[in-house]
Amino acid sequence: MTGISCALRRGRAWLPAAVAAASLLVLPGLALAQGQKPVIWGKPSEVLSTDPHSSGDGSSWTVFYLIYDQLLSTDDKLNITPKLAESWEQVSPTSYVFRLRKNAAFSNGRPLTSADVVGSLKRLTDPQKARGWGKQIGGVNDVVAVDAHTVRIDLAKPNTALLSILSVATTSILPMKEIEAGSFDPAKGMLGSGPYKVAQHRQDEAWLLERNPHYWQSGKPLMDKMTIRVMPDDAARLAGLRDGSIDVATFENPDTPRLLGAIPSVQSVVQKTPNYFHLDLSGLNGNSVFKDRRVRQAAALVVDRPAIANAVFGGESAVEYAVPSAFGKKLCDGLPSYTLPRKERVAKAKALLKEAGHPNPRISLIASSVLVTYPLIAQVLQPQLQEAGFSVQVQQVPVAEWYKRVLTTNPKDSNFDASLTWFAGFSDPGIVLNWWTSGFSPVFTTFLEPVAEYGDLMAQVRQTPNGPERDRLMTRACGLIESSANMIPLVGKPDYIGFRRDQLDARFGPLEGNFDVFKYVADFKRR
Amino acid sequence: MRIVYYLALRLAIAALTLVGVSILVFAGLRLLPGGFEQMVLGPDASVEARAELVAKFGLDQSGPAQYVKWLAAAAAGDLGVSMATSKPVADEMLRRAPATVQVALIATATALAVGLPLGLLAGLGVGRWRSVGRVVGALGASVPEVVLGSVLVYIFSRWSLGATVGGYVPLTEDLGVSLRATLLPGMSLGIFGIALLVRTTRDSVQRVLTDGHVLTAVSQGRTRWQIVRHHVLRNASIPVLTVTATYIGYLLGGALIAEILFSVPGIGLYVYSALGNRDYAVVQAGVLLAAAVFIAVNTVADLGYAVLDPRIDARRHG
Repeated sequence: MTGISCALRRGRAWLPAAVAAASLLVLPGLALAQGQKPVIWGKPSEVLSTDPHSSGDGSSWTVFYLIYDQLLSTDDKLNITPKLAESWEQVSPTSYVFRLRKNAAFSNGRPLTSADVVGSLKRLTDPQKARGWGKQIGGVNDVVAVDAHTVRIDLAKPNTALLSILSVATTSILPMKEIEAGSFDPAKGMLGSGPYKVAQHRQDEAWLLERNPHYWQSGKPLMDKMTIRVMPDDAARLAGLRDGSIDVATFENPDTPRLLGAIPSVQSVVQKTPNYFHLDLSGLNGNSVFKDRRVRQAAALVVDRPAIANAVFGGESAVEYAVPSAFGKKLCDGLPSYTLPRKERVAKAKALLKEAGHPNPRISLIASSVLVTYPLIAQVLQPQLQEAGFSVQVQQVPVAEWYKRVLTTNPKDSNFDASLTWFAGFSDPGIVLNWWTSGFSPVFTTFLEPVAEYGDLMAQVRQTPNGPERDRLMTRACGLIESSANMIPLVGKPDYIGFRRDQLDARFGPLEGNFDVFKYVADFKRR
Repeated sequence: MRIVYYLALRLAIAALTLVGVSILVFAGLRLLPGGFEQMVLGPDASVEARAELVAKFGLDQSGPAQYVKWLAAAAAGDLGVSMATSKPVADEMLRRAPATVQVALIATATALAVGLPLGLLAGLGVGRWRSVGRVVGALGASVPEVVLGSVLVYIFSRWSLGATVGGYVPLTEDLGVSLRATLLPGMSLGIFGIALLVRTTRDSVQRVLTDGHVLTAVSQGRTRWQIVRHHVLRNASIPVLTVTATYIGYLLGGALIAEILFSVPGIGLYVYSALGNRDYAVVQAGVLLAAAVFIAVNTVADLGYAVLDPRIDARRHG
């Protein structure tokens, strides 16, 4: 003890506590700005690309539906409904005529005409720049403006899924006159004919939307403004709902319904989708044991889908099939990996591994950190695969690394054994089945073992009208998917929404296939 | 003249440091797996569409060529364009800077207002303050920011206590809303700062108290406050200045966890999002700016040492 400290101890104590307390005081008296409050949506991530035709991110698509219109939409049972096209007609197996709404206009006031539709579809299907969605439409002979409000699409071959494809955000109708004149660049902003227009965008912070005064639904949207607040942290969005500073929030975390249930005045919505998680196995990489189809089949056999649905999703998800269960077709549920008792499947898997000469293969399983669910599913899959003899190392990697190692077009970069991802089911079962076609998507060509018969089969699925014959073809496709065991469907991927029912009168569809989560936004109103 | 020479030397060292940082961040980013064109276009984009985007931003050129071009532009004040949004990075940084600075100021004010007096009292061994200082120092430094932040998020959203989570607007737009949105991240970061300053101030004061000149002053019968004012505070302040400068440099670089947890659209969040999207221009600019701010703050602190203790200036120049 020093002399000075002893001296000080004897003296009058002085306390800086007041200073400390003052520095921690909150400012409860500060009031929020008054005025009409917009609908505030707490969104987990920023829009990655503003161009609907080149965006590959479902989370961005949800925003596109607020700004842009498509020719068609879907109802709560995934049936096709009118949108920009108030009616349509299939005049031949390859030709469709769409009659556009005469009162549709872009938010800058310019009427939307058939020239915009023709230009948008030609831009989308440009073979030089064709993306997945251009390919989904398939060969287009011509898109013709019959008159100012009538458009005809002539396909090279029939495509039963065409109407469904035209209801997806990636087929949005853009203001082609402005794009061609150079006054609007879809890569830098958004200008559509949907219910809202962009008033302001602060990157990674917020999108401030205002009603499109020229929207074709008279008197709508009911709410003048909408704010999309980018809030990456789940806890922050929950907090926003809890204190009412946001009206609605979307989530990926399967714990969301439980967490939202603890907040009074908040309604939790689990929106069913035809989307599903799948396990991808590297079928072409010589360094992976999964190059041997028998090893892939062994992995497919030991997967216990109900256990994943229960452990990860608390029963809010369900076993899924290559043809999503949301379509109610039950075309794939008779396959061995679904019907055989698990004990029998494990025994078969062990036998397959032994036959392949890999009784105890060591594999890595990539679970990207982009979704909280991937690592959770991987944790459940790990012991299931180990039961058959696999030794599994789970690798949680950033999304860019996952793209580089798994979803790559360069075979030299392809570097994985197993990986988790998910498919969107949209509103036609044939759309998702296309992804198993070798060469259909450039990123799957690096790990998808070509099955010659599958390509021909899918050509028939695309061209065959809905009915028993198409169902029979899709059942055959399911069988080929099961035996190739390259991309193994697991369980459904629901969407989670929470909203303040005391603040917002809102409706969310029970089943959504196109990421159009805010399909009924035009009818939202404040309580 | 000596100060001019000293400043010139510091500037030269700072420039060299920045060049080193620029090489590290540029090379490090290129070594990371994955490219921005996949992030922006999605994995199923055509090879042609990706190549077009890569060429648009000059990423098809050689690494050294890209580096030289970028560094030359940065030296001229052009930080480039965000590959994800096509917006100038400098504009976006400037737009985000107020949020980061505001949070940093609240955190620093909190840390200084609480940490300094508490550390001084603990160092002087007044009453129970020594124990209080020890507990605050240990707790503040050992509770991870993410835990503390999450607790604050829960408490302040569960009960209406004034501060909000998210909803930041610039001060100029709405003072009240802006302060309410930055108070929690500021406090969350400030608590770590309090711990840092309490420990540093306490240790520094205790060290000075053992110096001979303090005992001499006691034996001369000086009052305790005279001793503290004239013989302790100034001598104990140099380590405190060092950690305060380091702390401020860290905060101004963008306190990432706090910005994520409390949805503060600051520089840290911007650079973090850009890193995930492999938006090279943004990450390079963000890291370079953070390094520049860090160097600047520490240079100011360096100059402050000489003001606080003239012996340091004398030693520097022989």
